Amino acid sequence: MSQPDANTGRKRARRVSTSLSEINVIPLVDVMLVLLIIFMVAAPMLQKGVEVNLPVARRADKLTNTQPLYVTIPTSYRQDRRVYIDDDGIPIEVLAERMRQALDGRSDKQVFLRGDGAVMLQEMMDVFGRLKEAGVEKIGIVAQERRAGQ
Amino acid sequence: MMTTRLRWPVLGLMVAASAVAIASPSAPEELRGDRAEAAVGRAGGQQPTSPTQPTPPQRTAVEVTLTGEGGAQTRLAVPDLIALSNDQETQDAARVIGEVLWNDLNYEREFYLIPRDTYKTIPSAASMDTVPFDRWRELGADGVVSGIVQRAASGVRVELRLYSVRARQSVFGREYTGSVANPRLYAHTFSDELHLSQRNLRGVARTKLAFSSDRNREAVIATVEKREVKEVYIADYDGANPRRITINRTLNITPAWSPDGRSIAYTSYRSGLPDVLISNIFAGTMENPTKGVGQNFLPVFSPDGSRIAFMSSRDGNPEIYVVNRDGSNLVRLTNNAATESTPTWSPSGTQLAFTSDRSGTPQVYTVNADGSGLRRLTSESYADRATWSPAPYNEIAFAARTGPGFDIKIYNIASGETRQITFGEGTNESPAWSPNGRHLAFMSTRAGRSQIFTVDRDGRNLRQITRDGNNWTPHWSQ
Repeated sequence: MSQPDANTGRKRARRVSTSLSEINVIPLVDVMLVLLIIFMVAAPMLQKGVEVNLPVARRADKLTNTQPLYVTIPTSYRQDRRVYIDDDGIPIEVLAERMRQALDGRSDKQVFLRGDGAVMLQEMMDVFGRLKEAGVEKIGIVAQERRAGQ
Repeated sequence: MMTTRLRWPVLGLMVAASAVAIASPSAPEELRGDRAEAAVGRAGGQQPTSPTQPTPPQRTAVEVTLTGEGGAQTRLAVPDLIALSNDQETQDAARVIGEVLWNDLNYEREFYLIPRDTYKTIPSAASMDTVPFDRWRELGADGVVSGIVQRAASGVRVELRLYSVRARQSVFGREYTGSVANPRLYAHTFSDELHLSQRNLRGVARTKLAFSSDRNREAVIATVEKREVKEVYIADYDGANPRRITINRTLNITPAWSPDGRSIAYTSYRSGLPDVLISNIFAGTMENPTKGVGQNFLPVFSPDGSRIAFMSSRDGNPEIYVVNRDGSNLVRLTNNAATESTPTWSPSGTQLAFTSDRSGTPQVYTVNADGSGLRRLTSESYADRATWSPAPYNEIAFAARTGPGFDIKIYNIASGETRQITFGEGTNESPAWSPNGRHLAFMSTRAGRSQIFTVDRDGRNLRQITRDGNNWTPHWSQ
């Protein structure tokens, strides 16, 4: 930048004009990185993946995603630190990379978490961290909707 | 296989000349991603399997992918190689080969390369036969490249194999023996051979870039005419192993490789006036095809290497000439009061493209090699430095003025459409195609000084190649 160069004057002039015309995206990126949208969805009738006792919720949104991506945290996570992508059991260490592969080419960056009701918040946080690392923007927590009279 | 191996016969003398490819450990077959459609159509340029031929069982198995719905590529993992000897040199080589191979395979974007920082949870195999396939499958790998480096009498023995994680067997393998001095060459060679065998693609890992640079910052010793010192350098396609070619402390610019990679033609002010020189970089000899007549610039070899197109003002006005490499059979292609410059050959050698300002502004034109059939291609405010892509892409890349600086644009000859691949970050000039037509090298000031970058033909995969001094006018070896 400061080296003697016949083009220095020209470069300086150009740099000024570009910096004025560009939006500074760094604050925006910061906000995006902090933000992780978490919402509740009702478990669909037909379920894929390993069996877990889903938490029960009074109200939950209907699942509208046609190709949902499920990550399951069973109670056995406490012992073996393994989660499931559909039926595929993987150690938590590779979850971020597997999610990156799964999200590659998808536009929604959305994951549905099928956590057992007995999973601890600390364990959920482990998984959230890995998912965020992989670029997940929205996490839907799958819940069993309590029907009237239950 | 042998022809690509011989592309760098002398530079790779210590390694390639003694490298011996053994038969693959098992019959080579194509490794694919877990795509349902992969069982139906084979990827990229392979001969379609005849329907009467019985296909091996693992190919007919249609498995629904669990993770790769959005256009899944075959996913490869390249961990560090296993060093079977304890000395530092072998262990360094094992690490370097793994790193470079990952970069080489990633460069062509034919495979998804799983980032190396995710491998640390997987225990490294103790030998080639104990690859922890289950752990690689958990990481989502379809293939894993495993290899060993071992001390041998003449240097090192490097064995590399591509394993299919699903089939748990080797699908492609190579063994090399040679010097340990440049371990990167083993990785480059394996990458090229793997691309050829798995994707029928000619990789560029063993190609080189020539460019002119002022990185030595030598004191200017001579007269006003020699205002600057630039020398011609070559480096690997990834910028490693830079080597200086000219040593004459004048201006040496616009290098161009001969098709056999043994010579570089360039414009040199060695004698005080610009002239075309050819350096035979391995023989250490020099040629002057223009015999010192007039001022000559911008040499470029024809695709068969027998002729050189260049610009000369010998008849009073800058025009395009073609001359045999030995200086015979000089032909003047253009005859116009305007300035003609920067010739480039079509891949077949029957046409040339060049820049002319006969319309008032510099534009790219094409002309037949005998001087007939002139045609104007571009309508930019300023278009210069055309470079004709190799087959199968029928395109011409050039630098077009887009504001204060230039940007790289690509003109498709068949459709007549122009697309832009750089967008005003600094000035971007002097494009040069890779020999497989998938990448471009160019000079850009986006990082401050003038540096060489490479980019894919779709504008993605930008990489900075040089970092030292100022560097200009790259040219990619064939």
